[in-house]
Amino acid sequence: MSVKNLDEAPEKKSEILVKMGKKEQCGRQKESAVLKNGKSRDNENRVTVRVQRIKKSHIKQKLIFFSVLAACLVILAIFADHLCPYDPYAQDLSSALQAPSFQHPMGTDTYGRDMLSRVISGARASIFSTFILVAAISIFGTIVGLCCGYFGGILDSVMMRISDVCLAFPGLVFAMAIAAILGGGIQNAILALAVISWPKYSRIARSQTLALKNEPYIHAVILAGDSSVQILVRHVLPNMIGPVLVTAMLDIGTMMMELAGLSFLGLGAQIPMAEWGSMMSSGRSMIQTYPWVVLSPGIAIFVSVVIFNLLGDTVRDYLDPKNGRLQ
Amino acid sequence: MKTKKILAIALAAGMTMGLATVPTMAEEKKTFVFGDTTFNAENEEADINPQNTYAGWACIRYGVGETLFRYSDTMEIEPWIAKEYENVDDLTWKITLNDGVVFSNGRVCDGEAVKECLEDLVANHERAAGDLCIDTIEADGNVVTIKTKEPKPALINYLSDPYGCIIDVQAGITDNGIVIGTGPYVATDLVTDDHLTLVKNENYWNGDVNVDEITVRTISDGDTLAFALQAGEINAAYGMAYASYPLFENDDFTFSSTATSRAFYAWMNFESPVTSDPAVRKAIAMGIDKDSFVSVLLNGYGYPAVGAFPDTFSFGGQNLTTESYDPDGAKQVLEDAGWVDSDGDGIREKDGQKLVIRWLTYPSRQELPLLAESAQATLKDIGMDVQVNCTSDNNTIRKDPTLWDVYASAMVTAPTGDPQYFFTSCALDESVSNNGHYHSDKLEELADEMETEFDIDKRAELGIQMQQTVLDDNAYVFCSHLRMSMIMQSNVTGLVAHPCDYYELTADLDIN
Repeated sequence: MSVKNLDEAPEKKSEILVKMGKKEQCGRQKESAVLKNGKSRDNENRVTVRVQRIKKSHIKQKLIFFSVLAACLVILAIFADHLCPYDPYAQDLSSALQAPSFQHPMGTDTYGRDMLSRVISGARASIFSTFILVAAISIFGTIVGLCCGYFGGILDSVMMRISDVCLAFPGLVFAMAIAAILGGGIQNAILALAVISWPKYSRIARSQTLALKNEPYIHAVILAGDSSVQILVRHVLPNMIGPVLVTAMLDIGTMMMELAGLSFLGLGAQIPMAEWGSMMSSGRSMIQTYPWVVLSPGIAIFVSVVIFNLLGDTVRDYLDPKNGRLQ
Repeated sequence: MKTKKILAIALAAGMTMGLATVPTMAEEKKTFVFGDTTFNAENEEADINPQNTYAGWACIRYGVGETLFRYSDTMEIEPWIAKEYENVDDLTWKITLNDGVVFSNGRVCDGEAVKECLEDLVANHERAAGDLCIDTIEADGNVVTIKTKEPKPALINYLSDPYGCIIDVQAGITDNGIVIGTGPYVATDLVTDDHLTLVKNENYWNGDVNVDEITVRTISDGDTLAFALQAGEINAAYGMAYASYPLFENDDFTFSSTATSRAFYAWMNFESPVTSDPAVRKAIAMGIDKDSFVSVLLNGYGYPAVGAFPDTFSFGGQNLTTESYDPDGAKQVLEDAGWVDSDGDGIREKDGQKLVIRWLTYPSRQELPLLAESAQATLKDIGMDVQVNCTSDNNTIRKDPTLWDVYASAMVTAPTGDPQYFFTSCALDESVSNNGHYHSDKLEELADEMETEFDIDKRAELGIQMQQTVLDDNAYVFCSHLRMSMIMQSNVTGLVAHPCDYYELTADLDIN
């Protein structure tokens, strides 16, 4: 029995490594393949260490890279007013629909407004709205989840049924209905998306809390006389915040798209506000004739969503406890 | 397995037969698909029943109905179902119909049929009843004698309005609003906001009809319309976005354009705390850059407007004066009236009231959102905060004067070739659509005078004075007149834009 175990264990370990390797680059997959065929246990271990080192430093580099890019976007949004070469709202009909040139790197729109200035100015609307939205839903959702998970009872049943209702509908469709009732405006679009998006967080927070609340150390702090609030804030929250943060990071890109989507449909930002979704919407009839009017905000949405999504992915990988164990 | 094989063979055979028969069918049958952005409930054209709000426009545009008289290219009265009229005295009109006019169901369209139709019309259609003021109608063979309650000098013009389409009321009106007319096409299917199917009227009294089947598709989105025309899914389009015009300026497509009396103009709300101030109205009139709106945003497909009617009319804008674009002057006007920006946010205030203009408009006329956004920027310059509400629900909202300050709309101001129409429909106390409750004693007086004036030149003179009165009050700001265009595949002939904007599909239509 013990002999068998000795033989099997390294096999399994290498398989795990192979699986990890698949997630990463092809190069490493090849190494792992070699590793799988390798006969000697010593040989396996040596390669494994190297694989781990490459993987670890790679994640860190990625994290730094995407953090810098995301920081650039945020700085762009903060200083939008100072970075715009022109007033994003100043109409100049004499220079309407000019193709991208040295003066107007992204061209001008129907009303002669500089597209670059509008895209920069739109970054503020899009990025800050998204941050506010994600912050609001993650904080609210977490509080609800914590309370439901810890106290249970009627509160738990009621809140979870409400969240069931929210989760039952396709997100954007439900948001459209709410935004249409509330009327246009970016605040209402944020509100509409917030109303339907918080249950995801409360579900995560609740499940984590349920798991944690029966841990021995919680029993210990109860015995030590901590109040419920103290327990939740000091002992439960810090231990379950990781998954919530990762979800929030991954949600930034999605929420940015959904906000832009609502604005595109005329339910979010109202004219003349520079917002990427509504800019695309107003320029969509020009995709064949004056493509820069619709492509400029389109590219801006694409780039920022990609950056925030990759950043979210990397943060997840970085915080992944599996990676921690391997390290 | 065996059944599957048999089934497959049967299917294959069926398809081959289908292929073989399709080309011969295509040769026999000429079909035409027309894309239109305005055939919808939003424009009060929910169906083709002339007795229903503005649906008569669809009835006449798509060749289902015809009126007693029609307009020539210079907007003069021409015979159509009727061949002549005689104004016996101030109250009596004798109209003689053409011989041989038949409804598409085969019924002869004689004096009796016309009488029934007009009586039904004034019973069901508020605007028509007010315009026509009919007392009695008598029919004798092909002669119809109409007596009005009061002198109606423009009666013949009003009878040529789309609501005057002669329909067979005995045949009735279906639930979805299909009527039987005398036009070259017969409606077979209608779904509001979706489509209207027409077939050739085999009994057409006035010549041969070339096209066998027509589908009018309601395509409210300009991009969809452009793509549909590019892809060949529609043969012709009405209401194409100006930004898409360059796509069709080539040999594969032809344009038919004409100047119309359709005006894009802003109505002022006299119940509103801001626009009831004459200074604010004057500043708005001075703060809209009409020339750039036309030359840039409409790609030159329009004419800057002074008054309600274009220069092609004898009572057109050339006779009038109004404010021109002058931002500095507008600022001064507001300054003098006590509207000053005291808190430095760029928006003026007076007695704690911010100069916020709620600008109501609607998207189905694509020029209107452009006008709104353009005015929003130019008016912001002079210290007004324009909040645009561009909604298809405009017809409900505008009935409540507490919900808007300025209502920008597009309307054909002289569909009857006569100046009276515009004023009776929107500027007088009794006007159904005077939702901003504009009132001018002088205008009422002039309108009363026009009511009884039969001389065309004098009516024109009155029309000028009435427009000037409205302009002096800045009750309306006329921004531009439309140069209407239809874009069609180059093999389409006989589809010609008409200045009154309501003859589109006629018997001349053909595809080569």
